[in-house]
Amino acid sequence: MQPTLINAALIGYVGATGLALAYLVQRQDLVHRLAVLCALAGWAAHTVALIMRSIELGAPPLGSLPDAISVVVWVIVLLEMLIEYRTGLRVLGAFVLPVAVVLSLKATRGPAATLAPALASAWIWVHIALAMVGIAAFVFNFAGAIMYLLQERQLKAKRPGAFYYRLPALQTLDRLTFQTLALGFPFLTTGLVLGALWARVAWGSAFTYDPLAFLSFVAWVIYAGTLAGRAAAGWHGRRAAYFSIIGFAALVATLGAGLFLPGRHGS
Amino acid sequence: MALFVAGLSHRNAPVALREQLAVEEDKLRELLLDLQGGDALQEIVLLSTCNRVEVYGVAEAPGEARALAFRALCRHRGVDLGTVEPLLYTHLDADAVRHAFRVAASLDSMMIGEPQILGQVKDAFALAQACESVGPSLHPLFSQAFSVAKRVRTETDIARHAVSVSFAAVELAKKIFDGLSGRAVLLVGAGKMSELAAKHLVEQGAFPIYVANRTWSRAVEMARALSGTAVPWDELTTALEAVDIVVTSTGATEPVVTRAAVMRVMHGRRGRPLFFIDIAVPRDVEAGVDSLDDVYRYDIDDLKQVVDANLRERAREAQRAESLVEREVGKYLARQSDAEVIPTIVSLRARLEEIRLGELKKTLARLPEATPETRAAIDALSNAMVNKILHVPITKLRESSRAGASRSWLELVHELFGLGRRP
Repeated sequence: MQPTLINAALIGYVGATGLALAYLVQRQDLVHRLAVLCALAGWAAHTVALIMRSIELGAPPLGSLPDAISVVVWVIVLLEMLIEYRTGLRVLGAFVLPVAVVLSLKATRGPAATLAPALASAWIWVHIALAMVGIAAFVFNFAGAIMYLLQERQLKAKRPGAFYYRLPALQTLDRLTFQTLALGFPFLTTGLVLGALWARVAWGSAFTYDPLAFLSFVAWVIYAGTLAGRAAAGWHGRRAAYFSIIGFAALVATLGAGLFLPGRHGS
Repeated sequence: MALFVAGLSHRNAPVALREQLAVEEDKLRELLLDLQGGDALQEIVLLSTCNRVEVYGVAEAPGEARALAFRALCRHRGVDLGTVEPLLYTHLDADAVRHAFRVAASLDSMMIGEPQILGQVKDAFALAQACESVGPSLHPLFSQAFSVAKRVRTETDIARHAVSVSFAAVELAKKIFDGLSGRAVLLVGAGKMSELAAKHLVEQGAFPIYVANRTWSRAVEMARALSGTAVPWDELTTALEAVDIVVTSTGATEPVVTRAAVMRVMHGRRGRPLFFIDIAVPRDVEAGVDSLDDVYRYDIDDLKQVVDANLRERAREAQRAESLVEREVGKYLARQSDAEVIPTIVSLRARLEEIRLGELKKTLARLPEATPETRAAIDALSNAMVNKILHVPITKLRESSRAGASRSWLELVHELFGLGRRP
């Protein structure tokens, strides 16, 4: 039952992504409404699936990386729908939903993994939850950066195209990327610190080699640099957007490493 | 009785003829009262703008009514009917409804999506109402045309994007800045178009306004007109540091804003974008500033290009609007035809119900020993018979009215069931 629901959710998200992209090109209210409907249906199925998963595990579905990513996707889709509804930024889905789909493709079908006994502690849940909130914020950071670059290109090229009409003002997008960075960074930082502390308690060293831990540190450095650049050196606009994209690439690599390479985070 | 619209518009009639035929309000009123006095036109609305002169009417013989109306119009304006007649178009019934909707929604306008036409149609309708020349056909038609026009405006972007250079510049500014309120504007040089652009920016909340001009008195004068501040010409570069939007329109033959100057200025701005609207020919801002980050420069050709793109966007939206209008026409016609047969259906039902109740009463009076069950069964039986009998005639009436051929059917039903004269 639960795999069926997860598949239904994935189909909903894929449909919503296709429709959201179609809406970007062919501005039709009906297409947008269908996209929202698809996303909502997928999200509802996803919600039920996560609840069933929790019951099955007897714990929040954060204990394995695939489960945790599934929760991230759930949060992303929820936030996407909320922000779109609140701000009227109807094109957001076209930039956020593809990421959600990519994340959920691999993430949603894991065996019912549970935490190794060495890890069973309340702190581990906090570590995972904080890191996941950070990741969700960076997905929006990434989407904002992409939108900024597209809009900036159109304005510089002086040839208004679909994006010029659909996307908001440059300054708005720049603010969005800054705010999501400022929001996501503390969560990511605290999540990483807790992870390192916990590694020391569990394995005796905070920096034992683990692909996910290593790459997440790389991503953290990139984001820390961007934030510092923004705050102190007045970085903004294109440069900040490029760094957001690089940081996000590192984050995706982090999750990929966690899923595909052997290490302490599973697989 | 047929609904029709006849007239001429910018599509087929030259402006010389349109302006000759255009009628002002007082005369329109006279004409309306005149035409309404005769028998040829049951209802009439006259629409006269600089782009179209049209008669919306209800008449037994639309051809004659059209001739009558335009004869009166031409006589009034001293135009030869012979020159007007060949240019007139006429739309009947469904086509007339579609035409009315398209005109009100600004889909038939010279500049698609322009907002004035709806007001003009409303005025024409109000005038006709005041002259009591609208009735059961034109009243719902125009009310519906207004609501269709409103839907088109809100549900499509037909009127959204600027089609003038100065408005296009304002829209561009809105795509760069997070809202225009509190954005400082610098006008360099005086010119009608730059003043217009500045006014649009002020309307959107831009503030404060600075004016620089080689002639100090001219700068002061213009600053006063815009409630701004005059800036000495040699402090131009300093002023660049403080402002967000620069509108240039000097007659200078050499650029007045150089790339080097802008590059220096950008250092102190900490990423605040700088937007140049260069309306001057030859251009006032060096094209080289394009390669600087956060600097956006649009010259007059760029702005025209934006306007062209906006027009294409409007045309795309107009297609969506057309399909919306088409759906609304269908709905309107269906409602109208239902409205036509509903009174007959109601009286037909009432007639048979009256017969049924009369007979039921008589029958039950003759059966005093009948149980309540029997009574209920008899009641149900009579009810079922009436409904079965009515089913086919009612369906036929509805179908015939949708096919536009209800008249003979309505008369037949009235005759057969003795419903009296049709209202």
